[in-house]
Amino acid sequence: MKASPKEIKIMQKMQPGTITLSGFLGNDKRTLNEIIEDDFRLLNALEFTPEEIADRMQYFTDKSWNAFTDEVLIDDIYQVETEVVRGKLPCPFGHVGIYRKAITKFTNTRKNISLSWTSLNIHLIRAHGFFEGKGSSFRLEPAELVNAIFDR
Amino acid sequence: MILVILKDIATLCSISGVLAIILVIAHRFLNDYGIVKININGKKDINVKGGNSLLSSLADNKIFIPSACGGRGTCGACKCGITKGGGPLLPTERPLLTKEELITNTRLACQVKVKSDIYINIPENIFNIRKFNSKIVEIIDYTYDIKGVTFKLDAGEKIDFKAGQYIQLITQPYAKMRQSVSRAYSISSKPEEDDRIQLIIRYVPEGICTTWVHQQLKVGDEVSFTGPYGDFFLRDTDADILFVAGGSGKAPIKSILDHLQVVGTQRRMTYFFGARSKKDLYLTEEMKAFESVFEYFRYEPVLSQPKAEDNWDGKTGYVMPFLKETIRDPQNTEAYLCGSPGMIDAVSKALIAAGIAKDKIYFDSFG
Ligand SMILES: Cc1cc2nc3c(=O)[nH]c(=O)nc-3n(C[C@H](O)[C@H](O)[C@H](O)COP(=O)(O)OP(=O)(O)OC[C@H]3O[C@@H](n4cnc5c(N)ncnc54)[C@H](O)[C@@H]3O)c2cc1C
Ligand code: FES
Ligand SMILES: [Zn+2]
Repeated sequence: MKASPKEIKIMQKMQPGTITLSGFLGNDKRTLNEIIEDDFRLLNALEFTPEEIADRMQYFTDKSWNAFTDEVLIDDIYQVETEVVRGKLPCPFGHVGIYRKAITKFTNTRKNISLSWTSLNIHLIRAHGFFEGKGSSFRLEPAELVNAIFDR
Repeated sequence: MILVILKDIATLCSISGVLAIILVIAHRFLNDYGIVKININGKKDINVKGGNSLLSSLADNKIFIPSACGGRGTCGACKCGITKGGGPLLPTERPLLTKEELITNTRLACQVKVKSDIYINIPENIFNIRKFNSKIVEIIDYTYDIKGVTFKLDAGEKIDFKAGQYIQLITQPYAKMRQSVSRAYSISSKPEEDDRIQLIIRYVPEGICTTWVHQQLKVGDEVSFTGPYGDFFLRDTDADILFVAGGSGKAPIKSILDHLQVVGTQRRMTYFFGARSKKDLYLTEEMKAFESVFEYFRYEPVLSQPKAEDNWDGKTGYVMPFLKETIRDPQNTEAYLCGSPGMIDAVSKALIAAGIAKDKIYFDSFG
């Protein structure tokens, strides 16, 4: 599918070196809408909405926020630490909003899965259903993410 | 038949070519605002080419408004008063402006486009901000992820700053980065050493500027920056001082202490440095050495999660519980904080609960 002019504009902001060092699309050959639609289908099959996932990620980020850079054990299973760097990042969709340079490192100790996400990732999932392109350093595979953050 | 098709294509091409030319001309014409005037503080006019941001138009004229995010509309450091012109408030500005600032027509200089004459108000101290060219003369590995980098200014250049202020480091294109960005870093050296500055820079994985500093820069490289910025500096009173820092937040406090060593002080000072384990501690000997320099100074590193092999016998946990016991008179105590926004929130709350007035707690507010 061909990307629309609006999509092209957003994809330009997602290129390496524009907002972040390596960009948001990785080596994914799909258009932005294709990436979002494919992940949306995956989520549907998993019976989760982007909001539910973003809420759960925010829950862990908030709980570990109070521990500054320390690792905390949440609900006896999840080992989480959030590191905040001074400064903020804008959303590549041109959305009015700015997001902390905060990285949450997360481990589900029972399933032995480790993942990282930033405050911007939570926003991109909640507001845009965007989990980043394949090959991006911050790509979150929906199935792996759901498996890691929900205890089921 | 083929000839007819080719003729049609040629006609179409020439029509679209003409249309493209009209569009380019229209675009040029519509975006040509000519030369416009910026009036500063009712005192000085500068003429600039219209159409650029107020921030960059001023920078082109060597007037550097603070911009901790390098003009991306994310820090709010570039606020300035506009008395006339500037166009309507943009949605990108609103999240960073308070109700009061909205009423007083405070705007973000990086978002406002100068398309016609504009009248602005900026603090006089902004005229002290300049662009400096420098050469790296030293890079020290303080920890596994923190480097101290010293930049020597071009021959004859001097920087006039207050201990605690910051500069904006300007990156050069590297790897996939095709453009420059600028990022804020506190100066860690003393103002008396005015031909150079030292910065303490912590590596951020996938960070544009810190990857450049940690993986590309070497001694001898030429680097530019603008500054000095910020109102995080020591107030000239005789109040007791509490310094609280974490991570790279040690930088401005080091500058303040180095400066106090030169000018001398009788003030009672306690410095808490919060870190996770021993591998995150640095400059400990240097900070401890101040205990024999000043009349009353204590350096207290506090580890939140010391490792067994650290053999740590110092304070453990977070710094907050230790603050109250060090405060002699909350009415006569100032606190200077530098670190992550979470740490600043928590320490500010603890200090306010201990009776220190909110306006006596100082930190850089664009974290
Ligand atoms: C007043 C002030 C003083 C400061 N002083 C100092 C100082 O003395 N020392 C110091 O070390 N720092 C200091 N800072 C912080 C500094 O300005 C920078 O913000 C910091 O160094 C990071 O810059 P960067 O360009 O490396 O990271 P950036 O590139 O701006 O941002 C990196 C962030 O983006 C996230 N990210 C990257 N790619 C993606 C993606 N694809 N998806 C989602 N998220 C992604 C990363 O996880 C990381 O959180 C100060 C800041 C301020 C405001
Ligand atoms: S420079 Fe950061 S908001 Fe304008
Ligand atoms: Zn958005």
